[in-house]
Amino acid sequence: MIEQYIPIFMVMVFAIIFGLGVIFASKIFGPNRPNKFKLMPYESGKDPVGDARERMSIKYYLVAMLFIIFDIEVIFVYPWGVEFKKLFADFGILAFTPMLVFLIVLELGFLYIYVKGGLKWD
Amino acid sequence: MMLNSSELMQIIPFLVLGTGIVISLLIEMYSSKSDAILPWLTIALLIYVAVHSINEVGSNDLLFGGMLAVGGKSSIFNFLFAVGGALVSLGAIDYIKKYGANFGEFYVLVQSSILGMMFMSGARDILVVFLGLELMSICFYVLVGINRKKINANEASMKYFLLGAFATGFIVYGVALVFGTAQTMRIGEILVNFSSLSGNILFMTGFILLIVGFAFKIAAFPFHMWVPDVYTGSSTAVTGLMSTGGKAAAFSVLLVLLGAVFTQEIENTFMPLFAGLAVLSMLYGSIVAIAQNNLKRMLAYSSISHAGYMLIGLAAGNLESVTGIMFYLVIYVFMNIGAFGIIAIIEGPNDDRVDLNSYAGLHQKNPVLALFMALFMLALAGLPPLAGFFGKYYVFIAAIESDLTWLAIVGVFSSVISVYFYLRVIVYMYFKESEVDFNVNISPTGLMTVVICGLLLIVYGLFPGSLLGLIASVVN
Amino acid sequence: MDIWSIVIETSIKIFVVVNVLLLTVSYSVYFERKISAWAQNRIGPNRVGWLGLLQPFADVFKLLLKEDIVPDKSNKAIHALAPFLALFVAFSTYAVIPIGPEMTLFGYTFSLVVADVGIGILYVLAMTSLGVYAITFAGWSSGSKYSLLGGIRSAAQMISYEVSMGFSIAGVIMFSESLNMNVIVQSQAGWMWNAILQPIGFITFVVAAFAETNRMPFDLPEAEPELVGGYHTEYSSMKFAGFFLAEYANMAIASALIVTLYLGGWQNPLVDIFGITGITATLMQIGAFLVKVLALLFFFIWVRWSLPRFRYDQLMDLGWKVMFPLSLINIVWVAALIMIFNL
Repeated sequence: MIEQYIPIFMVMVFAIIFGLGVIFASKIFGPNRPNKFKLMPYESGKDPVGDARERMSIKYYLVAMLFIIFDIEVIFVYPWGVEFKKLFADFGILAFTPMLVFLIVLELGFLYIYVKGGLKWD
Repeated sequence: MMLNSSELMQIIPFLVLGTGIVISLLIEMYSSKSDAILPWLTIALLIYVAVHSINEVGSNDLLFGGMLAVGGKSSIFNFLFAVGGALVSLGAIDYIKKYGANFGEFYVLVQSSILGMMFMSGARDILVVFLGLELMSICFYVLVGINRKKINANEASMKYFLLGAFATGFIVYGVALVFGTAQTMRIGEILVNFSSLSGNILFMTGFILLIVGFAFKIAAFPFHMWVPDVYTGSSTAVTGLMSTGGKAAAFSVLLVLLGAVFTQEIENTFMPLFAGLAVLSMLYGSIVAIAQNNLKRMLAYSSISHAGYMLIGLAAGNLESVTGIMFYLVIYVFMNIGAFGIIAIIEGPNDDRVDLNSYAGLHQKNPVLALFMALFMLALAGLPPLAGFFGKYYVFIAAIESDLTWLAIVGVFSSVISVYFYLRVIVYMYFKESEVDFNVNISPTGLMTVVICGLLLIVYGLFPGSLLGLIASVVN
Repeated sequence: MDIWSIVIETSIKIFVVVNVLLLTVSYSVYFERKISAWAQNRIGPNRVGWLGLLQPFADVFKLLLKEDIVPDKSNKAIHALAPFLALFVAFSTYAVIPIGPEMTLFGYTFSLVVADVGIGILYVLAMTSLGVYAITFAGWSSGSKYSLLGGIRSAAQMISYEVSMGFSIAGVIMFSESLNMNVIVQSQAGWMWNAILQPIGFITFVVAAFAETNRMPFDLPEAEPELVGGYHTEYSSMKFAGFFLAEYANMAIASALIVTLYLGGWQNPLVDIFGITGITATLMQIGAFLVKVLALLFFFIWVRWSLPRFRYDQLMDLGWKVMFPLSLINIVWVAALIMIFNL
């Protein structure tokens, strides 16, 4: 079984080597003549104003939380999805109803967020 | 795999409450009158759950391949949670309007937390325990900070969340170690092999981590840091639910985890641990409560010491102690919800009027409230004709039977200390002139909660036999 | 099968696939420019080599010889980590995508996929999730406002569409009963393509794939008119080239994924019709896979030069309020198909 995964590790090792190679290529081949203006943050040619490390809109955090909630639900669907045909052969419609209930509850939670304005960008 | 109809009947409380949560959310979303409908829907649902649970008390079954137990002890606990939740919802109707958190979500969260508690009490698999615990705790985190415009509530919510997450970390790590060594999640199978596993240092570490995690939830001494701030900062209705339901749910899990200890199948290895926790909690709670002027804070410390009295039962580790703890929890729920109900009525709109001075001269302003407050304080102190006395009495008896007389003596000593600060409230109400001038706006629903709690305390104080007999029959 | 033969076989496969991928990437850049020129009635690159065919290589050499500027205010380590991560993701996802069926050459049978593992789809999902970090790190570490806005926008956009992507794939694995990519392709034999059986899932997946690769009409993270270059504003020389390479490699991989999951992978209807067997059939199937991928690549480019960019709120609305419910409906639809027609 484990030798199935050897290729994946090899691919990853190759990708790491390739990535590092690209990152360091221009360090090796390119010139290195930094000056103060070159190293400024780019703000369309003007001197930069303030700092970029500022607070950002809370909406982004909300999206991140919603993602965590709903992406975890996906993981519950996969095992059921893989086994669905066999479950249907054994249990008939009862193989589907629990997942339907799950999806409805999920959708209701989503609807709640929607109705309460959690997805509003203004 | 599939449930038959009689088994389906037994999980109906869970299904009803689960469906109720979904329907409540729908009402909250689409109805403009949700704040008028939801409290009564919540109360109706919880009363149904309570009635159904108490009907099922005679049965004793394991469902879902041994993951969930119904009937017996869990029925009594479910009854307790549901009644407690219903009383809190009843008292909260007018209170949360005053508090500025009149959201339908309040009731949805109360229902969800009750569902989580029911899963905890019924769980016979560590994962289900964890599921219920998280459902309950997450609802509490939100409930504590439900009025996000109040800085105190936000602070309390954050503290509770961080420390609660910390406690959850203990529990999860304990679960991992127990599962790794016992190679099963079923509590029954773990307890069968307990004596062979107890030599394994990893297993014992895991088990003690589990106990530590739940000690957080029951607010026992070294893990009590969150209690005063959270109880003071959150809305009074939520404090009432948290201090009773949350504590009872955590004890229900401990009773299951240590199930084999109580039937004397395995040695009471954890006796020193629980005895230590009990002594420290009782004395710390009672002594520090003396210095408190804020009534909610005082009740928070009293809650720590009450956790200590119940821990005496766990240290004793016999069947009488199970009966004693369960009886104590039932009484404690009514005492505390009643006391917090009165605080909720007196409390002003800006978190004011919760200090002792506001209670000075309450006797003249409203004799009924003063009478019930005196009743609850005496019951919490454990004075004889009231039910609170029997709660402590049975736990102490259990301790003496297990040759832990010294522990019972420490308990009595701590009770004597605690009488001081409970009686002080009565002294303020009856023998002091009012200093703060305000009118008590009695909400009919709030008063109803208080009256129900008070009457139950008197009834169970005068006739403890009926309840005690029921619990004892279930335990044995 | 001993370990050394696996290592040698895999090395050869990686060598071939990476070269094909790099070639595809270079020439999709070239064709992007040619097609955009054609769409805008211009000529496009035509100086380097015949018809400008050597242009991609000239670009790479130019970037290689440029100075690597790391801004003062940047977090140096993360600034370097971001393009590395982007490349790592882009050049390890292809491992599980099957290019053809099992092939016998000189009496030696091997599968035309680098790693034939049972968790194929989960691996792809894990890798695409990692891709979000590359862009977020790039945006945050640069210490520039344009980068930060681009990075944070992109993170929100990618995770929003990842949800509907995940739910769309659930429909595919219900038919295939496996997470293995080769089994998924085989389950689509004989025109039972998932694109035909579950059009809703196909559409949501394609849209999500566009969003995941930050392509027009979802290229808000770059959005030249407002954000200059978005998350890679502060990158230069080969680090910039790394992002560029990763973006086009992701596009190629997204096309290959869409083909594998929804368009029958290497299934070639002609093989069945004419009853072709042996090496010819295998070659035709590989050809079919490549043709499908190239057609989708053309579709990616075509869309870019035909559609205007979304506004950010429209983008999030589409992702959450349309794509997410649709992908849930897709699961019910697939379940209904299985239950009614016993597919």
